[in-house]
Amino acid sequence: MTILYLALGTAFGFVLSRSGAADYSYIQAMFLFDNLQLYGIIGAAVVLTAPGLWWIQRRGRTLLGAPVQVERKAMNRGTVVGGVLFGIGWSITGMCPGPILVNIGEGKVYALAALAGALIGAGLFGTLYSRLQSFFRLPTVQRS
Amino acid sequence: MPLLLHDLVPLHWAVSGAALAAITLALLFVANRRLGISGGLDDLCSVVLSSPYFQRPFVRSSRPWRIPFLAGLVLGGFLSAVLAGGWSPLWSLGPFDDIIGLAPSGKLSWMFLGGLLIGFGTRLANGCTSGHGIFGMSNFEWPSLVSTTAFMVAGIVTTNIVYRVIFHA
Repeated sequence: MTILYLALGTAFGFVLSRSGAADYSYIQAMFLFDNLQLYGIIGAAVVLTAPGLWWIQRRGRTLLGAPVQVERKAMNRGTVVGGVLFGIGWSITGMCPGPILVNIGEGKVYALAALAGALIGAGLFGTLYSRLQSFFRLPTVQRS
Repeated sequence: MPLLLHDLVPLHWAVSGAALAAITLALLFVANRRLGISGGLDDLCSVVLSSPYFQRPFVRSSRPWRIPFLAGLVLGGFLSAVLAGGWSPLWSLGPFDDIIGLAPSGKLSWMFLGGLLIGFGTRLANGCTSGHGIFGMSNFEWPSLVSTTAFMVAGIVTTNIVYRVIFHA
């Protein structure tokens, strides 16, 4: 299965690279409403993914017969505050998490700094989790 | 508008969107995995950090798929560059160079700062453009619509402040 995940990731990365979704100019043009390419992409992706997800979950089994499990995301104060922080970071770097990695693959040197920041930011969040939990009403961490 | 990568003409938006939808659906239908890329930051952190948040079963169990998927994203970008005319280190940043124009050290600091917000923000929001934007919205999950609206609005406001107020062209 590792090869399958690698192949799906490669295809995803290739499309992000060639579509403009991993391109600083396109991200800024989207946020300035100068170019609507990226709105078209996410709109098309959602419109086409939605019926597929409905069908897969109605069928209830994967291709190999396993019960389909989709864990739905929970709402809390982090949903909005985290989204806002991420949106500011997306605008600053011109990259969301996938495109950081795609840009590194393309050879865009500055994306390495964005990755370092993202890993440290995530590391900080996880390390401070117990202190952030009550304010943002985050779920309790499950122990193994 | 050409891409920064080899001045390529991008794929049509409908083709790109359809391809991303197909991959998202294949990931669930074949492998029973919910698309989500920023969760991979937890997976990578969990290799070296031992706090309970990173060592929870959800993170540990997603490493075997998410880490190869993330490696694929890098490989996909690499192949895209190679097939388009060759891989070489790239520093150009379009309007950033024309209008803000920081030296390489400034550019790296700018990217690092943005990266911190991406890492902290996506983990706090429990998702990014893929997990909330594509999967969550397609699955009619209310928190995903809320979070996607929050990050789109924040991006629109920030870029407009940066390019239309502070660094006025």
